[in-house]
Amino acid sequence: MSQDFLLPDLGEGIHEAEIIAIKVKVGQSVKEDDILFEVETDKAVVEVPSPFTGTVEAIHVKEGETAKTGCNMITIGSGSGDAKAPAKEEKKAEKVADTKTQILTPVGKASEANGGNGKTAPAPTAAPAQTAANSQSPAHHVNRDIPVPAAPAVRALARELKVDLYDVRPSGPHGRVMKEDVRSYAAGALESRVGSGSGSGSSSAVATSLRPAQPAISLHDKYGGGDDKADKTSGGSSMPSMQSTPSNLPDFSKQGEVERVPLRSIRKKIAQAMMKSWTTIPHVTTFDEADITGLNATLKSAEKSFAEKTGSRLTLTAVVIKAVVSALQKYPQFNSSLDDEKSEIIFKKYYNIGIAVATEKGLIVPVIHNADQKSLTQIAIELQDIANKTRAGKVELEKLQGGTFTITNIGAIGGTNMSPMINHPECAILGMARGADKPIVRNGNIEIGTILPLALSFDHRLADGAEAAYFVRHIINHLEHPLNFILEN
Amino acid sequence: MPRKPIEITEKIEYLSILDENANVDTKLEPKLDNDTLKKMYRFMLLGRRTDERMLKMQRTGRLGTFPQASGHEAVSIGSVSAIEKSDWHIPAYRELAGMLYRGWSLEKIILYWNGYEEGAVPPKGVNDLPYCVPVASQLLHAAGVGMAMNIKGDKKVALTYFGDGSSSEGDFHEALNFASVFKAPVIFVCQNNQYAISVPLSKQMNCKTLAQRAVAYGMPGIKVDGNDVLAMYVATKEAVDRAKAGGGPTLIEGLTYRFTPHTTADDPKRYRSEEESKEWFGKEPLTRFAKYLQNKGVMTAKDLEEMEAEVDAEIRAGIERSETLSKSEELMNPLAMFDHLYSTETEHLKEQKEELRQYLEHKKKGKKQQNHTAHPEVSSAK
Ligand SMILES: Cc1ncc(C[n+]2csc(CCOP(=O)(O)OP(=O)(O)O)c2C)c(N)n1
Ligand SMILES: [Mg+2]
Repeated sequence: MSQDFLLPDLGEGIHEAEIIAIKVKVGQSVKEDDILFEVETDKAVVEVPSPFTGTVEAIHVKEGETAKTGCNMITIGSGSGDAKAPAKEEKKAEKVADTKTQILTPVGKASEANGGNGKTAPAPTAAPAQTAANSQSPAHHVNRDIPVPAAPAVRALARELKVDLYDVRPSGPHGRVMKEDVRSYAAGALESRVGSGSGSGSSSAVATSLRPAQPAISLHDKYGGGDDKADKTSGGSSMPSMQSTPSNLPDFSKQGEVERVPLRSIRKKIAQAMMKSWTTIPHVTTFDEADITGLNATLKSAEKSFAEKTGSRLTLTAVVIKAVVSALQKYPQFNSSLDDEKSEIIFKKYYNIGIAVATEKGLIVPVIHNADQKSLTQIAIELQDIANKTRAGKVELEKLQGGTFTITNIGAIGGTNMSPMINHPECAILGMARGADKPIVRNGNIEIGTILPLALSFDHRLADGAEAAYFVRHIINHLEHPLNFILEN
Repeated sequence: MPRKPIEITEKIEYLSILDENANVDTKLEPKLDNDTLKKMYRFMLLGRRTDERMLKMQRTGRLGTFPQASGHEAVSIGSVSAIEKSDWHIPAYRELAGMLYRGWSLEKIILYWNGYEEGAVPPKGVNDLPYCVPVASQLLHAAGVGMAMNIKGDKKVALTYFGDGSSSEGDFHEALNFASVFKAPVIFVCQNNQYAISVPLSKQMNCKTLAQRAVAYGMPGIKVDGNDVLAMYVATKEAVDRAKAGGGPTLIEGLTYRFTPHTTADDPKRYRSEEESKEWFGKEPLTRFAKYLQNKGVMTAKDLEEMEAEVDAEIRAGIERSETLSKSEELMNPLAMFDHLYSTETEHLKEQKEELRQYLEHKKKGKKQQNHTAHPEVSSAK
């Protein structure tokens, strides 16, 4: 007979532990009290002894992994002496997924509203793109009359990270919000900060692949963020106001019908991030144009074979990423951040390029890491992959972190140019508007060419206008004369 | 109207009889018969081994969090062996050895730390209170017990325990003051293990000794080598005799060390150095007492070995009983928790019991219907 040993609560209310060391091997015989594991909890590093005598049949965890309490750690067969053959098929233990469920993703279907006599929001006609992972997650807490169950340490953390507990999707028992819920919410929300906001702030898109047709989505779904069901339950009029002070806005409802929706989730984070960027970074924008007639033709000619070979599209944005990396290497101030407190400029020696992606809930910026070490082909493939995943709400948390420079492309929609807003704490952001055929002068003749308007917004504390102009010129030189990419190396 | 010193006559003494190398001061050595000495050692050993076994149980999910007691055996046994069964024993939470000595069964202790209130029912034939976790609150209970005995004319003492950290609680000062003012027969024993979780003694008080606090309340105080079971016995016996003769309370400070984390959820490496722990381990209470017993011819090495085996078997049997009990219908019934506080059921407890009964029934039904209402269960539990 074999017995499983499940990770117990090793402290007071400990719910997970990191496996520091595994002291036994499959096939080894162990006696009761022999040390099996060394694990580290929030509180202490402890040794876990064997409760059974027998032979180790299977070990279900690896060193370095984090196991939740109740997770099957090891299977020990009764010690009848004859060592059994090493593990059959190792059962996969329930572990804390290394890829944490993305909290930014649009949530599953609108389910039945439960209770709440307030007016309900317009019916969610089409279900937005959803992920399996998220459709099972419990709703977050919406009723602000009831405190969110969370331990004091979790509340302190939330205060520190400026996270509203009502926004967080709980993973603990009975809807309890845990520390990592707060952390991943904060991490996701922070990294979703956006680089671009032209006018209405909702018009950025990435042009790497065709933008999916905008599905019908209610105001609540779009701006309410988080969880459809949750938003519905608290209903229109009972929605608590975000501000504690009464706003001095006119009464719009006198003019006609209005609907009030709480500012929440991604929309709220975007609002906060934009406010921070706009109020703490002195922005300057420089505009220029690239003649991409030749590049466009080259891309077109390669389109088919590239797609056949890789399953991805070779896009202008991918080439721009390469050109930007080259410009960043030449003008490192655009890859820096300012440490105001220490009066230091932090030059980053890595090149992680963020790409603004429009999703139904708002703008999210996934990052292509170490773009300098990747080929154009790799970048094109990765770009399409993360853009798709981001739209589907499936992008991994790590892919939303660590950007050093952002590119935003509204070209698929239009725009003769724009003035993008910096993705704080980066130094600069490059905006791409619509590349369109225009009359241009070449060698004294008026010809038709494809012109790509570019705009670079930068932090004037870190760089000056002339450098910015050189920076953009460098990019343009590469786009207009792709031979430069080769000559560089 | 001159300015002149006020004589404070009390002196604080330090008492040590059996040192860490098992050298004994024969002038101070108590006259205890062999059986008593053996019994004292046996319960120190039983306490130590139970503590160790309980840690293993906790680490494998068979026991809840508990405060470990290894290192505190001499303070506990030295003092508890100086009182009678009819005296009162009012522990804090590191008196495992003393409680076993008083007749608390192993299964009760294990049940207690597994959250069963049945584990808090004192054994028959002794005047004991259960474990007390709210620090220093037991000192007030003890002061009250002592005052009550004075009123009733009972010639008994109350022996109670607390930690060094607990001495910073208001309860400690109130208890000592009341006991002293009313000459209550209480012996306050401090398990001075030099830490309150991670707070060292130097952050706890700015005095030479803890025992000198007795002076302020007008009672005798003494500091004792808390790893020396004989010294603890002698100091306690003196205090007991004094109290029974109407001399009021005594404060005894037993200087010791906890060889373990504060509780199973603590990591002492974060606040104590390895050298310090090592040094104190050299002053460990069982080793020197075992040597003393051998030197005195009370026990042989073989006796000691046999006792180890006996104790081990006893612990295993106790654990088994506790694990059988904890699965029994009677103990699994949460309604029983209302039954132990008062001898007759009070109105408000009756009400609460009924409410819980209804809730449990409701839950049972809910489970059957696979009822997945969106409301979290807590809402109906109030
Ligand atoms: C009234 C109260 N406050 C806080 C606690 C949490 N607590 C448990 S043990 C402890 C430290 C006690 O230190 P000490 O009195 O030196 O006893 P030791 O644990 O060292 O034996 C604290 C603060 C408690 N149990 N009760
Ligand atoms: Mg202490």
